[in-house]
Amino acid sequence: MHFSFFHLMPWTELDEAPTQWPARNAPFRPERGTELYDTYLGTMAHAEACGFDWVGANEHHFSPYSLMANCNLVGAAMTQRTKSIKLAMLGNLLPLLNPVRVAEEYAMLDVMSGGRLVAGFVRGIPHEYIAYNVAPDESRGRMREALNIILRAWTEPEPFGWEGEFYQYRAISIWPKPRQTPHPRILMSASNLESAQFVGEFPSMVGLTLVSDLDVARSIIDGFLESARAHGRTPSPEDILVGQQTCIAETDEEAEEIMAKALAYFHGVLMRPQQDAQRIVIQKTRFFGQEGAGDYFMKRLQTLKGRTIKEQIEAGSILCGSPQTVVKQIKRLRQHLGAAHINMNMKLGNMPDTAVIKGMELFRDKVLPEVRAL
Amino acid sequence: MTDISFTERDVALSSGSLHVRTAGKGRPLVHLHSAAGPRVSGVIEALADHHLVHAPTLPGFDGTAKHDSVTTIADLANLVAEFIEKECDGEADIVGEGLGGWVGLWVAVRHPGLIGQLVLEAPAGLRRTDLIALPANIDERLKLLHAVTANIPAETRAPQMLQDNRKVLQDYIQGVDFDEALVQRLGEIKSRALILMGALDKIIPRETGHILKAGLPQSHLTYIWGAAHAIEFDQPQRTSAIVLDFLDRGESFLVRQAAPAA
Repeated sequence: MHFSFFHLMPWTELDEAPTQWPARNAPFRPERGTELYDTYLGTMAHAEACGFDWVGANEHHFSPYSLMANCNLVGAAMTQRTKSIKLAMLGNLLPLLNPVRVAEEYAMLDVMSGGRLVAGFVRGIPHEYIAYNVAPDESRGRMREALNIILRAWTEPEPFGWEGEFYQYRAISIWPKPRQTPHPRILMSASNLESAQFVGEFPSMVGLTLVSDLDVARSIIDGFLESARAHGRTPSPEDILVGQQTCIAETDEEAEEIMAKALAYFHGVLMRPQQDAQRIVIQKTRFFGQEGAGDYFMKRLQTLKGRTIKEQIEAGSILCGSPQTVVKQIKRLRQHLGAAHINMNMKLGNMPDTAVIKGMELFRDKVLPEVRAL
Repeated sequence: MTDISFTERDVALSSGSLHVRTAGKGRPLVHLHSAAGPRVSGVIEALADHHLVHAPTLPGFDGTAKHDSVTTIADLANLVAEFIEKECDGEADIVGEGLGGWVGLWVAVRHPGLIGQLVLEAPAGLRRTDLIALPANIDERLKLLHAVTANIPAETRAPQMLQDNRKVLQDYIQGVDFDEALVQRLGEIKSRALILMGALDKIIPRETGHILKAGLPQSHLTYIWGAAHAIEFDQPQRTSAIVLDFLDRGESFLVRQAAPAA
C-alpha cells in the first residue's frame, strides 16, 4: 500500500465560530500566520523522513479552515525542502482557474521537483464558486473542457489554439513542459456516483474523502471502475485513493481524546460559516446533476459532525487509535474498498503540532511496517 | 445573419463544366467540400454573410460529370485554380473540409499567387492509417464523423448517388492516405493557414495537425471543442466564429479584441 501525508493548514486561533460566510478576516494575525506556515511546511517536509509516499496539499478560498488559497505555492516550497517524496496537489480547483495557468504551474512543479508531481484536479466544494464568481451550473462542463486543454498543453508537440464553450485561446505552447511523460500522474476526486463516472472518462486515479458509509464508498468506487473500463482502461487498486482524517497516539484512549478535541474545533468553529453558502449553491443551482446528490452531500457532512469518535471509526470515516488499532483499520479499508492508497489528513483543526509529529513517527515505526505489503 | 440564398450555375472550364453554388458578397472565397460531397452547412451560410462564397461541386460528385483530364488531387487543384482565375478576379481565400483541404493545399503549392488565406478543416491526405484504424464497415465509419447527433444533416441524396460519390473519391485519391509529395512541398506555401481539427476527431489523427503546423511557414492550429470530424456540422458557431475572425484579421486574430462598448 501507499500512503500520503496531507495537511489542510488550518487557522488555529479562533475563539468562536464566524457567524456567516465568508468568515471575516479581522481575527487573522499575519505574524502568527508566518509562524504557522513555517511550522506546517516543516511538518509536511518531515513526511519524507516518516516513510510517506506523497505529501499533499489542496486549495480553498475565504476560509479559516485552510490557509491554502493556492496549493502550488506549497508545492513549490516542498520542491526545495524534500528530495524524493511525491508532491501531491489535491488539487487545483480547475473550473475556477485559467487552465493554461494550471498546466504551466503544474509543469513547473514537475520540473522543479525532478518529476515528482501528482497532479490533482478537483471540481471543489460548492461555496468556492461564490468566492471566485463562477456559475456552479458550469462546473462540470468547465472541468471537462479544461482537462482536455491541460492534457494537450502538456503533450502537444506544436503550438495550438482552442475554440471551446468556456475557453478560447489562439495559441498555447507552455514552457516548461512536464518532466514526466506523457504527463504527470493525475488524480480527481469523487464524492458521488456522478463524479466517479466522470473521473473514469480520464486517465486518472480516483480519490474519495469524508467517507460516511463504507458501502456507499464502495458503490462510488465501483462506479469509477465501471466507467474506466468502459473507456478502455484497466484500473487497479493503485488507482484508488481514500482520504481519512487520522490520529495515531500511543493508546486508543489518547488518540480518541486528541481527535475529539480537534474535530470539535474543526466542525464547530472552522467549518461552520460555509454551511449557509453550501446550502445556497446546492439548493439554487445544478452543481450536483444527479437527483439526491446534493442532499447526500449535505447529509454526509451533518452525519460526520454528529457522530462520536467511535461511531466515525466504525463507519470507516477516520483512522484513530494506537498503532496496532490503526493497522487493523487500514486492513479493513483495504479489504472493503479495494484501495491501495490512503491519504492521511493528520493536522485536524487545532490539534497540537507535537501530536501530529508524534503520530507521523508512530506511523513510520509501528504502522507502516505492518501495512506496506498489503 | 441575413437570409442567404445560393444561386446555382455551371461554369465552363477548359476540362469541362463545373457546377457551382454562389452566395453573398465581398471578398471571394472558395469553399471546397469534403468526401461527403457538397452540403450547405451553417458555416458556409455564415461565410456568405461576409464573403462572396463559391462552393463548387468537384467533378463526379453528386451526379455531375467527371472531366476526362482531371484524375488526381493535383488535377483538382489545377481545376480550382482555373476557376479562381476566371471567376474570382485572380485571387480568393480557400476554406476546405477534409478532401477539400487536401485539394486546397495543392492549389496553394501549385498556384500560390491565386490564394489569399487558407482554412483547412480536418484535412485529408495526411493520414497515417497506423495511427487510427477505421472500421471496414461504411456505416460504422459514418458514425465516427459526428459528435453532435442532433446536428447531423438530413441525407436527401439517393443511396446510389452516395455510393457513386465514394467511387469517385477512390478514383481521385488512388489509394493514397498519406501524400508524401505534398509534405515535401508544404514549406513552399506562402499563404497564411488556419488548421482546424475536431478535438474529438476519430478519423484524422492529431499528427496530421502537427505535420501541417510544423510544415506550413505561416500557420495556426486550433482544436474545436465538441467537434468530431465533421467540424462544420458539429460546431457551426465555434467554427464560423474563428474562421471569419481569421479571414477578417489575418495574423492579428491572435489578439483578442475588446467587446464593443455598450
